[in-house]
Amino acid sequence: MKKHKRTNTLSLLASLPLILAGQTINAQEQELDKVSADTVVNVGYATGSIKKLSGSVELIKEDQMNKIQIVNPIEAIQGRVAGLTINKGGNGTAALDAVRLRGTTSITGGNSPLIIVDGVIGDMTLLTSIYPTDIESFTILKDASETAQYGSRGASGVINVVTKKGIKGKTSINYSGSFGISSVYKRIGMLDADEYRNVTSSLGLSIIDKGYNTNFQKAIERTAIRQNHNIALYGGGEKSTYRVSLGYLDMEGDIMNEGMKMFTSNMNLNQKLIDNLVDCELGIFGSVKRERSLFDLQKTFYSAATFNPTFPGEKNSSGAWDNLTTASQITNPLAWMEVDNRETASYFSAHAKINVNLPYRLKLVLFGSYTYNNAEDSQYLPTTVWAYGQGYRGLRSSESLLGNMMLTYNRQMGKHFIDVLALGELSKDRYSGFYTTATNFSSDYMGFNNLQAGALRPWDGTGSYFEDPRQVSFLGRVNYSYDDRYVVTLNARTDASSKFGENHKWGFFPSASVAWNISQEDFMRYVDIVDNLKVRLGYGLAGNQGGISSYTTMSLAKPNGVAPVGNLPMVTFETLRNVNPDLKWEVKKTFNAGADLEMYGSRFILSVNYYKSKTSDMLYNYHVSVPPFTYNTLLANIGSMENNGVEISVGGTPVRTGDWELMINANLTYQQNKLLSLGGMYEGNYISAAEYTAIAGLNGAGFHGGNNNIVYQIVGQPLGVFYLPKCTGLKDDGNGGYVYGIADLNGGGVSIEDGEDRYIAGQAIPKYILGSNISLRYKSFDISLQMNGAFGHKIYNGTALTYMNMNNLPDYNVMEEAPKKMIRDQTATDYWLENGNYLNFDYLTIGWQPKVKDGLWLKGCRLAFTINNLATITGYSGLTPLINSSGIDGTLGVDDKRSYPVSRTYTLSLGLNF
Amino acid sequence: MRMKRYVYIITAFILCLSSCKGFLEENPKDAINENQIAGNLKELYMHSVATLYNNIGGYNDSEGIQGTGRGIYDLNTFTTDEAIMPTRGADWYDGGFWQGLYLHDWGTNNNSILATWEYLYKSVMLCNESARRIKDYATEHSDDDAQPLMSEVRALRALFYYHLMDLFGRVPLIRETEVEKSVKEQAERSEIFWLIVNELQESLPYLADERSNIPGEYYGRITRHVAYFLLAKLALNAEVYTDDVWTDNLRPNGADIEFTIDGTRMNAWEATIYYCDKIAEAGYNLEPDYRTNFAVFNESSVENIFVIPMDKTLYTNQFIYLFRSRHYNHAKAYGLGGENGASATLDVLETFGYGTENEDPRFDFCYFDDDLTDLDGNPIMLDDGKTRLVYEPWKVELDVSGKPYEKTAGARMKKYEVDPTGFKDGKLIDNDIVLYRYADVLLMKCEAKVRNGENGDRELNLVRSRVNAPARSATLENILDERMLELAWEGWRRQDMIRFGVYTEAYSSRPQLENEETGFTTVFPIPEKIIQMNNWLLQNSGYKK
Repeated sequence: MKKHKRTNTLSLLASLPLILAGQTINAQEQELDKVSADTVVNVGYATGSIKKLSGSVELIKEDQMNKIQIVNPIEAIQGRVAGLTINKGGNGTAALDAVRLRGTTSITGGNSPLIIVDGVIGDMTLLTSIYPTDIESFTILKDASETAQYGSRGASGVINVVTKKGIKGKTSINYSGSFGISSVYKRIGMLDADEYRNVTSSLGLSIIDKGYNTNFQKAIERTAIRQNHNIALYGGGEKSTYRVSLGYLDMEGDIMNEGMKMFTSNMNLNQKLIDNLVDCELGIFGSVKRERSLFDLQKTFYSAATFNPTFPGEKNSSGAWDNLTTASQITNPLAWMEVDNRETASYFSAHAKINVNLPYRLKLVLFGSYTYNNAEDSQYLPTTVWAYGQGYRGLRSSESLLGNMMLTYNRQMGKHFIDVLALGELSKDRYSGFYTTATNFSSDYMGFNNLQAGALRPWDGTGSYFEDPRQVSFLGRVNYSYDDRYVVTLNARTDASSKFGENHKWGFFPSASVAWNISQEDFMRYVDIVDNLKVRLGYGLAGNQGGISSYTTMSLAKPNGVAPVGNLPMVTFETLRNVNPDLKWEVKKTFNAGADLEMYGSRFILSVNYYKSKTSDMLYNYHVSVPPFTYNTLLANIGSMENNGVEISVGGTPVRTGDWELMINANLTYQQNKLLSLGGMYEGNYISAAEYTAIAGLNGAGFHGGNNNIVYQIVGQPLGVFYLPKCTGLKDDGNGGYVYGIADLNGGGVSIEDGEDRYIAGQAIPKYILGSNISLRYKSFDISLQMNGAFGHKIYNGTALTYMNMNNLPDYNVMEEAPKKMIRDQTATDYWLENGNYLNFDYLTIGWQPKVKDGLWLKGCRLAFTINNLATITGYSGLTPLINSSGIDGTLGVDDKRSYPVSRTYTLSLGLNF
Repeated sequence: MRMKRYVYIITAFILCLSSCKGFLEENPKDAINENQIAGNLKELYMHSVATLYNNIGGYNDSEGIQGTGRGIYDLNTFTTDEAIMPTRGADWYDGGFWQGLYLHDWGTNNNSILATWEYLYKSVMLCNESARRIKDYATEHSDDDAQPLMSEVRALRALFYYHLMDLFGRVPLIRETEVEKSVKEQAERSEIFWLIVNELQESLPYLADERSNIPGEYYGRITRHVAYFLLAKLALNAEVYTDDVWTDNLRPNGADIEFTIDGTRMNAWEATIYYCDKIAEAGYNLEPDYRTNFAVFNESSVENIFVIPMDKTLYTNQFIYLFRSRHYNHAKAYGLGGENGASATLDVLETFGYGTENEDPRFDFCYFDDDLTDLDGNPIMLDDGKTRLVYEPWKVELDVSGKPYEKTAGARMKKYEVDPTGFKDGKLIDNDIVLYRYADVLLMKCEAKVRNGENGDRELNLVRSRVNAPARSATLENILDERMLELAWEGWRRQDMIRFGVYTEAYSSRPQLENEETGFTTVFPIPEKIIQMNNWLLQNSGYKK
């Protein structure tokens, strides 16, 4: 790597928690304390100097990551990147609902950013297989002019992870570990047993009173212990470096029996050959994860909140859990805890990269990677919760083989600099799996460990699948700069996917960007408080195929059931979906404009980006008319959607003395989405999605079907709006209770069907997202506070709608406030639609990092104490406003009896370097 | 030059990539190309005919002719004076769906009506696909082999169109597979009716002259006997089905509706009788014990004509009607699940003479009331272990929330023998679901005779004497009552009430809707979403928009 000595060197202290757009450092060979503006950096496949970049790139180094006890490495950058939203809350200790860069741009799918770890391409599961502290840096590409290098894969942004490598000449051992305790501090306020007795008796309802006073919400919780350990060994000589690490995580869940154990390992080796002409990089990483999670989140929490509190929190004399048959939608929550639901997932990845320095300034890079991911699901529903018991076992595996070959050329000629890259890439994936189900178990003892203990195997309980999508890509890139002042970058990428129809396999996705380094101009020489000022413009296309599976363009038949044929039962085949042979790439066009400013010796940093994107030929599973279609959905490229947003990142170091340092860092994102169209021509017929398409609704007793949809997608509106009847207030029902009064919005009597007396009452996805970090250092002590917030959206409190309905008594318990309000209704109106704004204090860390004398066997150490999930400021009346507010699925914007109790974690962590 | 060498290598690499066209071709392994499933006659039968029977029963809501919820059966049952789904506190409100059905206030955007429409047309379109494959096969092979297959598919399609016409009146008539060839207009109800009759009549000679309710080659299939039954039903309801303007209170007269059968002209009543006689000639008879028809092993019934084969390990077809009717503890006593829902109406209690000394013997075959026991004969207790579970048939109302009898109001479904080994809470059982049976044939014949001015006492009293019910004279009123007694909860009530002109009148806890005297509720609305997607479709008269 070449380093030019220049006068205007940027001095970036490694400890500065900056989010610096426009710069990324080649992590493998960085010098920790100084980064020159001319340092050669990696952006996607390309390398170039910072000054010669015209796109928007964000870099997060280890020092800027959240130093807390985390399970998924993505949490290390939560709140640190403008435009990045991470929605946790799914089932399980390691589950992630949705990760989005710049929001949702496709309805069908493929909205998760591309994850690249040391060149290995994958998705979120790839990232989960890496131990958080093995990561050296994250590079985030959001802007189409840079993501275009990855073509269709990068349509939803790119998160490029570089793991730590060995360092020449030093042999070190690093240990980091933490120990944490988590405990629940907030639950739903339901009637306790005495209140339940009083309320039901005053209403003249007869209850089954077992004489106990049990809080079932508490009964299924526990104080969870979480620990993780990582040990890394690294070093190297002139020609080779290495790094090996082993990690172990053990996370108990706040709910009994929930937990996750993970083992990871990561090995990296670098070797220079033939007079440094050839540079080889080898890496292997792998992980094994064992997780036990809740089988049915909603049923568990619904049961825990509403189960008769007079029942005992223990088994009855005959060794069974007492149940209440009349409360048919719930089960004794402690019996639910006996459901065994496990996943064992292993991940293995190996890659090799060979850099060959050729004559004539040419460089050849060959890269190959293979990954194998295998997940086994095991479930057993014992006879206590499932009549006769049910066992399930399934295996899913995915393999991916990727190879590319890249040739680069660069040359400086006076003030002109040119850098050219050409790349060819092939990839082949394979997804396969099988599952089987057995029922009628003679004993619960063996569970899923011996499915032969189940007598029966229904026909539809067994199946298997296979899929092998392939992709071919070519990329050409030219980067030109004049005098480091004006920069132009052009990318031309073409992708071909096996998933599309014969004439639509290839897609061409070019991009262009320009940048002006104003600070390099002569007239700026006198403005010495400005270290760096750059403005950027970019435009690019990206393809997307993420949401679709293989073979959708082919007319295929699959087993559809068993029918008597002759004297035998035979499996018959049938086409199982509408076929669309013209399926093609979904295209997203993005315009990006941005500016980066650094002042006062980098003590003030500001980066502003504006983007606007339009997704067209949008892949969408249209609800089509039957007839003429056979099935009611058709995957087609018709609709379009628009996204725009502004991202502002500010970083400042207002105080910096020898002993003191105060750093404030914040990013604010505004995002807005609009569904432009869901209609168009298909084979000469106009097809269009229905005017109102429900995304999310309510579940539970008395909520089956009917008008219980809450969140919709409606053309002309943002994706995910609340479309509800308007409540005029509580209305006397004439029997001492109240019902929800409903406004007759369109005249002609009240009807709450779609298209009748309903209105658009708000959006489910936040308009503003805030991430902020304040850290203060005094000598060797530091304290850091992370806050995240979201604003401008609403939440439907379906939990309160359900638990406030007095008609639920006596079978289902109700909330403490319910008897006062005496609502006897569970019609879904906007009565329970609430403001979703919140500011969450994610964590507070206090650390101590003493200076260690030179020459000691201990080279460094750090001790830290963290409180996670400190507090939430919100006007939302439900358990927590941190529900799914970004993933387009059946839980979007609706808090419906499935929120985890809110807990805090206290963690002590230790880092040692020998 | 060295550089040239590299250029060659790279060019070769790129050429190799682009020349590998096959690399991007898909070769599915877990599915078969549709054009490879009709290689020989057996395959053709399996994947083009037998496969269609997976749409007779159902697994998902609104799919299947019977067995599932929120589909054809519910639209024909919970809209009538025969069955009611009371709101019971937190249970069974379901966004007003069930109350809407009972009150005939189901709305034009009802998701279950939409799903029923989609299920029926999906089945029609699958029949069309099968017909195309059979036609293609016939052009390459012999016509003679393909003819019986084609006839079976046409008969099945006629069955699905029969339900479409019955539920929705004017619907698009599509008998092609190609999307662009689709008809862009609704056929009149009478046109669809005559087409169904014609399709069935033309298929008859090629359909097997075999029983369909017995396991074996023809198990669950549309045989000639099944087609006879359907033709009899069509003829009996011809007055309704040939009425293209059903909101004017004027109906064609069955005596004037002309059928041509085997070259002979007959009116609707004569045609009904003709087809009923054909079934009798095939050897069907009343089972001595009414309950045999609904037993766990009911395959031996000499009365059942057309059934949905049930086998809990083999088929996915569900039967949820017992499950959703019985009380939780009632189901639990059998080791099964229950949802404590569907109940008999007050009209049922009155018609059966419930609790009187003249109570019809079939009440005890069809409904559970107070004397509940588990399979060993022990009384069934509530959760407190002290109170005996007793249903209160007379307490049934549309909404019993908060009442002391919230959970127990209403008599429950008993009809099918309990299969204590049922899967999925008792939704997957071995009792075949009875679609058509011979007692109905006798009642159809009886009614046709009476409507044709003849005496139908013999047929009526054959049915009554089998259960030791006293003889009655075959008046229209007695016939409608008899159909409620004999065919309780078998999915015929809506059709019967419409034919007798009482469906749109008020009954026990149901007032007449505004404008309902026009008869507009005798068909369901075309689902609003379907109209939105096909703006040439006209909504049925009387429904707004």
